[in-house]
Amino acid sequence: MGYYDGVFDALGLRDWCDADKVQGPMSMAELMARVRGGAVENNWWDIPFPSLDNLHASCQAIGRTREMTSAVEQGFLDIKDSLKFVLDPLTQPLSWLLDGSIFVFGQTPWWIIIPLMLLASFYVSRSVGITVFVALSFGFLGFIDHYGFAIQTLSIIFVCTVLCVLIGVPIGIAMSKSDTFQRMTIPVLDMLQTLPSFVYLIPLIFLFSVTESKLYGIAIILYAIVPVIRLTDLGIRLVDKDVIEAANAFGMTPGQKLFKVEIPLALPTIMAGVNQTIMMALAMVVIASLVSAPGLGELVLRGIRNLELGVGLVSGFCIVLLAVILDRVSKASLARIDGAQRH
Amino acid sequence: MATKTKIEIRQLYKIFGPNPKQALQLVLDGVSKPELLEKHDHVLGLQDINVSMGEGKISVIMGLSGSGKSTLIRHLNLLIEPTAGEVLVDGIDVTTYSIDDLRRLRQSRMSMVFQKFALLPHRSVLQNAGLALAVRGETRAMVEGEARKWLERVGLAGYEEHYPHQLSGGMQQRVGIARALASNAETMLMDEAFSALDPLIRTDMQNLLLELQADLHKTIVFITHDLDEAMKLADHLVILKDGYVVQQGDPQQILLYPNDPYIEDFVSDINRARVLRVRSVMTPTNGAGLSDTFGEVGVDDTLEDVIARSGGETSHNYAVVQDGAAVGKLDMKDLVRALVPRAASAPGARAADLN
Repeated sequence: MGYYDGVFDALGLRDWCDADKVQGPMSMAELMARVRGGAVENNWWDIPFPSLDNLHASCQAIGRTREMTSAVEQGFLDIKDSLKFVLDPLTQPLSWLLDGSIFVFGQTPWWIIIPLMLLASFYVSRSVGITVFVALSFGFLGFIDHYGFAIQTLSIIFVCTVLCVLIGVPIGIAMSKSDTFQRMTIPVLDMLQTLPSFVYLIPLIFLFSVTESKLYGIAIILYAIVPVIRLTDLGIRLVDKDVIEAANAFGMTPGQKLFKVEIPLALPTIMAGVNQTIMMALAMVVIASLVSAPGLGELVLRGIRNLELGVGLVSGFCIVLLAVILDRVSKASLARIDGAQRH
Repeated sequence: MATKTKIEIRQLYKIFGPNPKQALQLVLDGVSKPELLEKHDHVLGLQDINVSMGEGKISVIMGLSGSGKSTLIRHLNLLIEPTAGEVLVDGIDVTTYSIDDLRRLRQSRMSMVFQKFALLPHRSVLQNAGLALAVRGETRAMVEGEARKWLERVGLAGYEEHYPHQLSGGMQQRVGIARALASNAETMLMDEAFSALDPLIRTDMQNLLLELQADLHKTIVFITHDLDEAMKLADHLVILKDGYVVQQGDPQQILLYPNDPYIEDFVSDINRARVLRVRSVMTPTNGAGLSDTFGEVGVDDTLEDVIARSGGETSHNYAVVQDGAAVGKLDMKDLVRALVPRAASAPGARAADLN
């Protein structure tokens, strides 16, 4: 018998409460109370919060909290099959992309990959200093036998970032064009950004097998896509109104306006979003090692699980190195675009 | 002096607010602008505008900030839609145009120059100047050829590969003018085109515009808040105040015969000697012979020129000649009288008006 017995009696709900009285499994608290014995004292200082568990003690018809969580689980399991039926084929290409890219990057010999990386970073940043830094970093990674892991991490980030841009930029453009769509999207983006990264993984583990690469691919994309969407929207909204008016006054079509005026002028802001997206993808790819994402995160996880302090620290340092490389290269390209159109 | 009308604005109203149609009825029933704002939360932008703009002429719309002049010019190419009224361009009401017709109008019949230049910062000067043609889908060779030609015409040869941010304000606006001219539109809208430039550059640009106009005879609609600029450029002057037309007509006539204390106060600040021309103060002779004149002056000379010529002597008479024939007589006493504003303006009329 619980503290709130009186309330239900007063409301005349006693019959309803006891209608299907079954002796379900006891919770630990109930067991403790029973063992300790003693009646419930009506001490105002110890009034229990009217929570599900406490109400249940007085009225059996009200479920306990653990029944609520298992109901959520059951609900999720009920829709799982149909959800999976739709989502599985839709997301299958992601698995192929991730596996393919890890395979290609992994199988190509290092003496092709490293020069290509250097060329790409020079092309993007146009800075000798940064290219030398990238060369030294890869030399170091290779020398301590972490090159293979680093390449796996990089290829996952590469695929996920490209997909984030391909999906995120159009969403951002749509948001900048429609206030209604923006109002609908912002709460979703807020949620994606504030959800702890581990929580992402929970429904995904249920939906897909842990051995599938798309599991971590989706987690990374959901987590990392937010800044590119937000900053595309912001960048296009911030384009000088006078220039837009001029574009209208010279009879540009909406398409011409978008591709010849708005996107080029918003490009520095969009690139800032891409830089953020890359950094967030890197952060997530480490956490995603929990669900079998390969790469440096795997080593960190091994460090934690097996208490191999050295392995964890060295791979952690390698992740920092990758982060610095990615950040410097993308920031340099951002600065280059920004400088070309300052007005 | 009958010129063809290029643009005609008829009974144009613009009301800003959530329900302009309903507010329009209130305005037609005689609700005033402050009352409309206070009680009905609508802003009366323009009311009952009727203006004809002649083909090949410079029509200047002048007013202080908030008088609705920028709103008015944007009705001509429908960047702003009117609440009621017609805007006839070549006799056809543009408010009835479809989106495609409107786009064609903006692409090839009506170009625009902006106060803040509004050049594309990521395109070169050459690409900016050729914008209208590129939008229309002309070939690259054609676009670049025309753009080059007009850049040279406005004095920017050699700057084709620069970017807008590398140029000074005056040069940027030259690009803006080249861009408008390159579209080869008959009508050019200029929204405070020279207001953001410093005074010396502004004078240069005004001269450039007059020089171009002497060759090109475009229909130009020019917005300004500067009376000196308006007097210098205008063939037809429209003065706006609080969204309605206070007075319009020949600028010289407005200066000599202002019909409103607001305009009297406005014109009292101006250097009349530099603005007024001989034709406005002479006595026409209608072909009668002239005797005992001191010399000849041109019909379009400014009074300042004549004063300089006379050396300050006020007892002289001059014959006024146009194309070699005498058309009138100028008495220096009339000239001096014309330099004094007709009615002394009520002190602070304009300032009181702003409050």
